[in-house]
Amino acid sequence: MVEYDRHALKESVEPGSLKTCIVGVGGAGGNVLDRITLDRTVDAKLVSVHTDIRVLGHSMTPHKVQLGVELMRGVGAGGDPDLGREAAVFSREQIREAVDGHDIVFICTGLGGGTGSGAAPVIADIAKSTGALVFLTATMPFSFEGKRRLKQAEESLEQLQKRADALILFENNRMGELTLPKDGIQKAFTQADQLIAQSLRAVSTILTTPGLVKLGLDDLTAALNTSNGRCLFGFGEARGQNRGNEAVKRALKSPLIDQGRLLHQTKTLLVHIAGGESLTLLEVDAIMKQLGKNVPDQTHILFGVAVDPKLGDSVCVTLLSSLGLAQLNTVAAAAPPVEMLPIKERSMPSIMDSMPSVPKAAKAPKPAPAEDAMEMLFRTEEISAPAAPTHLTVEPEPQPEVEEEIVSQEVPVEEPAFEAPETPEAFEAPVAQEEPPPFEDEIVIEQEVTAYIPEPEPEPVKPARPPRPRIEDFIPQTVARPATTTLAAVVARNPAPPVEDASFMPASRTPKVSEEEAQIAFQFGSEQDRGRRFQQTEPVLADGGEDLDVPTWMRLKRKLKR
Amino acid sequence: MAKSTIYAGLEIGTSKICVVVGEAKRDGTIKILGVGTAPSRGVRKGEIVDFQKVQTVLNDALVRAEEPSDVMIRTVFLGVTGGHIKSLNSRGAWRLPEDQAEITEDDVEEAKEIARNVEIPQDHVFLHSITRQYIVDGMEGVRQPIGREGRVLEADYHIIHGVRGRIQNAVKCVREVPLEVEDVVFTGIAAAQVVLNREAKAQGALMIDIGGGTADYVLYEDGMIAASGCVPLGGDHITQDIAMAVQIPDRRAEELKVTEGSCLFEDLTPDDIVRVEDDNGFMIAEVERSFLNEVIYLRTREIMEQVKTRCEGHIGHLAAGIYLTGGTSLLKGIDVVAEDVFERKVTRAGSAPVSGVTATFEKPQFSAPIGLIRYAQILDQEKPFMSPLRRLGRKMADLLSVMP
Repeated sequence: MVEYDRHALKESVEPGSLKTCIVGVGGAGGNVLDRITLDRTVDAKLVSVHTDIRVLGHSMTPHKVQLGVELMRGVGAGGDPDLGREAAVFSREQIREAVDGHDIVFICTGLGGGTGSGAAPVIADIAKSTGALVFLTATMPFSFEGKRRLKQAEESLEQLQKRADALILFENNRMGELTLPKDGIQKAFTQADQLIAQSLRAVSTILTTPGLVKLGLDDLTAALNTSNGRCLFGFGEARGQNRGNEAVKRALKSPLIDQGRLLHQTKTLLVHIAGGESLTLLEVDAIMKQLGKNVPDQTHILFGVAVDPKLGDSVCVTLLSSLGLAQLNTVAAAAPPVEMLPIKERSMPSIMDSMPSVPKAAKAPKPAPAEDAMEMLFRTEEISAPAAPTHLTVEPEPQPEVEEEIVSQEVPVEEPAFEAPETPEAFEAPVAQEEPPPFEDEIVIEQEVTAYIPEPEPEPVKPARPPRPRIEDFIPQTVARPATTTLAAVVARNPAPPVEDASFMPASRTPKVSEEEAQIAFQFGSEQDRGRRFQQTEPVLADGGEDLDVPTWMRLKRKLKR
Repeated sequence: MAKSTIYAGLEIGTSKICVVVGEAKRDGTIKILGVGTAPSRGVRKGEIVDFQKVQTVLNDALVRAEEPSDVMIRTVFLGVTGGHIKSLNSRGAWRLPEDQAEITEDDVEEAKEIARNVEIPQDHVFLHSITRQYIVDGMEGVRQPIGREGRVLEADYHIIHGVRGRIQNAVKCVREVPLEVEDVVFTGIAAAQVVLNREAKAQGALMIDIGGGTADYVLYEDGMIAASGCVPLGGDHITQDIAMAVQIPDRRAEELKVTEGSCLFEDLTPDDIVRVEDDNGFMIAEVERSFLNEVIYLRTREIMEQVKTRCEGHIGHLAAGIYLTGGTSLLKGIDVVAEDVFERKVTRAGSAPVSGVTATFEKPQFSAPIGLIRYAQILDQEKPFMSPLRRLGRKMADLLSVMP
């Protein structure tokens, strides 16, 4: 067993303060613990628990427990929860030693694998038996990890729910919400770890910091006590002007709270506001007011305020609540973000036609969240990497065409760079890429795509694509229509621009080649009217709506013809 | 600080890509060290549509500029244009605190902030914030408010903005060369610095830079910039019109426009015929000169009218009249058309005389690139200790509209 005591964590023992212990189980749990160890923000005993000795070796936590030394011989559980469980049972004495004497035990784990799923329930059991309050933070595997892991995760979750006093669940699929689509995958995982670490920190802060309005363990259990429920956690921190509102906004934006919609359903909500010495009553009042808007009147609000000089001038708002399983199913808690789904009726068909980029909701509520979110995750990947045509059918009208075109065009290197800016609104993509109006997107993307067609060649590219409506409005369509109707239609649609008075166009002066000219002109399709050079560019429109790319003489002649 | 600094200006235009290397001396003169141009490909109406092509040509132009000037170009002032560029005038008023009688620099900053805090479309980014004037207690035309006594200080600004994505595309393209972009400049503003002199600005003048893809215009009234923008119509459109009217290939149409083209189509006999030949000398088309010129006239007039429409409301006295520059301004008879449309005197201008190895750069095609050098010089004079690298999107430094 590896003994590391680099940081001898002094346990701040104040008489009457709560002793907390954080146990990270398995690989994922270890990652979270590492983050907490690095951040050094939590005053608690940190214990890393694993079967794999190598992972333990890399861990930065001061205390480590290796599970099932003889059984596993320092090798991981290989994705088998039974092995994980066995190992934990084997080492139950050491585990007990590690967690004993604490008032609260947090357990962090990633479900789906061997050690995490298998050992965590055992550890929770042991912790409970020492009389501590057991707080669980678990992550659910990505949907692409496969059904088996998901099943293992679910089973483990079930067991944990029986043993834990509170459970905060984080779905890996929703990692996509934490970062921009183009950010590296490492950042996504880091953010997830941070989120979990934040929640732990928040809870332990709530319970340990001397507060003006104290929240105790009893309040915590009241807020989080629903049988088999899931925890909702929101955390927001802000500083500077308007920090109160900012902090609340951010707290509500937490993926685990889903824009605060889920708060509509809760019975008890725990709000903890922490600030530096500069926290004012006015701010607290404003914060509570804003929260009040998002929470129904019947909710029981448990309110705590703490002043922690270490926070400086930032304000932290922590929201803790829980939803019972029954409520969860109706709310489809882990479903895609708020703006996509109507809150009332979650029947399958309606979701499919309501919002374009919402993936088809699956059948049962339980697997639904995972799949929905996964599809969404995939969708964003697809949007930013043009080579994935699988989900095209769900997308709104303009997009499939654009995507198809891009896919079929053998996109050159720059394409992804352009794609990212033009990503539809599903993700906030600030990367200096505003969301231009969708029409603009289309046009700009076309420019890039078709730029590789050498100029002199006329357009083969757009066979079946509906042409840009703007041009169609003004230019006669095809040979098939008799010239007069076309012209009349065109002219009727265009108010004559201020330019066109007969004064500068002497009526007698019709160009010599005019007759043939005119016929040829009408034989052209709309695209050709604009000239080859401007085929792929955004049309220039005059105030009256004319397409100025069409030669002036041509437009004029049409107007005069009538 | 060095007595003279070397700047490089880059204009990615529709008909040419041009790199200018210039040396700006402390006394305000500019010496052109080298100019590299190459016929542009992959640019339409002032905007890049094909990165690769543009980069190839850009590299060409760079080499051609670096050789004679013997300078390694690392950072450039990039000129951008395009129909998306819009402008507006904005005023911000700042009331001085009660106990304060004199206007201080801080007050000026406050007023500036308020003036600049104007609504632009979400996808737009600021290109320029140009001081027009300060107004102290209702008195207009104040250039230097600091130290004056007053209660209310207003800052009057001319704001130019454009679509963020397009501007960034241009920057991206340049960065990949690799070149650093020191600043992004609307080419109209750049050209105006060398085409319009102090007097013209004071009297009121409208400069129209008609290039291959766009017509940039900048309007000065009472010594202050009043309107600016870009009409995405240019020489290319004229060429296209000719090509489609006479049914000849684009290249021929361009040649025709340059050699035979004119905006004057009256007083021509019907048997004045222009022959168009292909490479082998075979005739491919015949056209009456009057017809040809009329086609050109129509389009040219349209461009002028478009500029006029957009300047509506700002055209005041304009005593100095219209200044035409840019390649298309070489078209015969274009001054007549302009005079007709604007009803003011028209001057065809290149950039103000600059010294240099090649004195040919009074050609109107080079107004904008040379203007970039001048712009760089002015910027440096305003804020001599500014760091050379600035990121796109930040509001630019003030550019006083009347040059010192």
